[in-house]
Amino acid sequence: MKDLHIIVCLKSVVLEAPRGRIVRTAENSVMNPFDRPAVEIALALRNEVGGTVTAVSMGPPVAGNALLEATAMGADRAVLLTDAAMAGADTLATAAVLNAAISQLPPFDLLVFGTRTADSDTGQVGPQTAVSLGVPMITQVSHMEPAGTGCRLERQCDGFTETYECAFPAAVSVNPDAVVPREIGLGDLETAFGDKAYDVWGLEQIGLSPEATGESGSPTRVLTISPVKTRKACEFIEGDDAQKRDELINHLSNAGLIG
Amino acid sequence: MNINLTDKHIALRRAVKSFCDREIRPIAADIDKEARFPWEVVEKMGRLGYFGIQTPRELGGAGMDALSYAIIIEEISSASGSIGLCVTVHNSVAVFPLLAFGSPEQRDKWVPPLARGEKIGAFCLTEPNAGSDAGGIDATAIPRDGGYTVNANKVFVTNGGVADICLIFARTDPAAGRKGISVVVAERGTPGFVVGDLEDLCGMRANPVSSIRLYDCQVPAGNILGKPGMGLKIGLAALDTGRMGIAAQAVGIAQAALDEAVQYAKQRRQFGVPIEKHQAIQMMIADMATRVDAARLMVYRAAALRDSGRSFSTESAMAKLFASETATAVTDLAVQIHGGYGYSKAYPVERYYRDARVTRIYEGTSEVHRMVIAKGVLG
Repeated sequence: MKDLHIIVCLKSVVLEAPRGRIVRTAENSVMNPFDRPAVEIALALRNEVGGTVTAVSMGPPVAGNALLEATAMGADRAVLLTDAAMAGADTLATAAVLNAAISQLPPFDLLVFGTRTADSDTGQVGPQTAVSLGVPMITQVSHMEPAGTGCRLERQCDGFTETYECAFPAAVSVNPDAVVPREIGLGDLETAFGDKAYDVWGLEQIGLSPEATGESGSPTRVLTISPVKTRKACEFIEGDDAQKRDELINHLSNAGLIG
Repeated sequence: MNINLTDKHIALRRAVKSFCDREIRPIAADIDKEARFPWEVVEKMGRLGYFGIQTPRELGGAGMDALSYAIIIEEISSASGSIGLCVTVHNSVAVFPLLAFGSPEQRDKWVPPLARGEKIGAFCLTEPNAGSDAGGIDATAIPRDGGYTVNANKVFVTNGGVADICLIFARTDPAAGRKGISVVVAERGTPGFVVGDLEDLCGMRANPVSSIRLYDCQVPAGNILGKPGMGLKIGLAALDTGRMGIAAQAVGIAQAALDEAVQYAKQRRQFGVPIEKHQAIQMMIADMATRVDAARLMVYRAAALRDSGRSFSTESAMAKLFASETATAVTDLAVQIHGGYGYSKAYPVERYYRDARVTRIYEGTSEVHRMVIAKGVLG
């Protein structure tokens, strides 16, 4: 198999937002934990087949630290997509930025995403980017190995394991339990944060107009965010023992807790 | 004094914590109980650079600064004081003197395998009758057959049970008094090199602290570090660096005890409310948090001074004194907040309490540190 170019798209997420206010700092911003397995699976495939891994992230300047962590893990190149006009982008507008940036990079064989983010949790950016780039996507991949001119993949769904064979170029999102992300070596961290070697691209570099992204390019709006109030309520099951048993099984089964 | 935590330091703390959460915290109680040195974790740490933190890259290390070193030791020690001890002693009083005083040949020979964690280092100064009074050692290294014949009985050697490369303080010129003390490098496996029984200690039980005895152990002349007679100078320089590591270790243990106490105070209910609502507990938590914060700032200041190339001897002594006394006070309060459960092995605070105690003793007692500080202040 020829050398691969694998692109991992990752996000820097905020750990906490006291009183609903988000102030991004290096202390409270981390690489999305669901993206770590994505980086790991990309690095493992590169190490097996050969080639390069490029890490790409859209976000404010502090998101560069997540890219440096990916570099410390072993990524060959990193690109930060940052521009004031990208602020407030919804998932579709984010996918538009990623699409434009990926089109500026050397042609890719595989595009890798985490399944979702720890802060907004939509899981949409990966599929939207894949669709916009016109490549097939397999989500929730739990195992991947090179095969033919592409790869063989497994994903688990509803208690079944599905196996796919997919030609490159393709896109995947990685199940968080698929692999254990590697620990970062101290020397690698020192080098990555010492060199701070990542490209910074704004809208101009990726050839996208301000209207196509940020708030103006986002068809959805978050109107309000408020905490969910949970109410605990006890429900008593009536009847004889057999009825109570069957009713309990029904309840648990309908709640998806057994079955 | 500017203590500037950069993005690198923040990412570093996160990376070390991630490693500790995955590899060290789950086994910390067991290795303490079994007094077992966790080779499986130590080997992983070696591959990740933890045994050559400040060692230059060209010698196999990570090439980090002293502030990074303090953060790393703090984080490891908050998970396991014993492993923190292994790493700090190896880095600061075994590898550092080789880097600072070794000839290029000595550095090239001993440092790379130490920095990669393939070999473990130890610092052998204390003897049954010489501890705080380093000039009172009995060990000898007498010139013979073009090398030195070493006889020594070293006790309380941290990492002793697993050490491959030992820095032995011995008299090469017994008639010259303090100026006749040198550092001799002795390698495990050399005829006459004997590892004694492991000490049965109150805390730091997963570290194989042992005695090291040398009986007519013949080493080449090239195993003298620096020059003959430089022993006490090397020892004092090593301990300047070493005490900063112990101070960072004390901060890590104290932080772990504070975190446990806060968590427990929120869940333990007495008199109808979580005990965090009682003012008596709040006062304790406030004192603990304040002392830990102050200790951490003192350690980081000493590290920042070192990184800027300035003298840090008095400041590192102050940091070690304050941080170690903080660790014993804070772990004591953590046990108090836990009540009877704090005295049980069911909760980790009793381990922190035992581990903290020795930080006031090793690499210079609190009393010796007060002497160092007084000398720095009074001149």
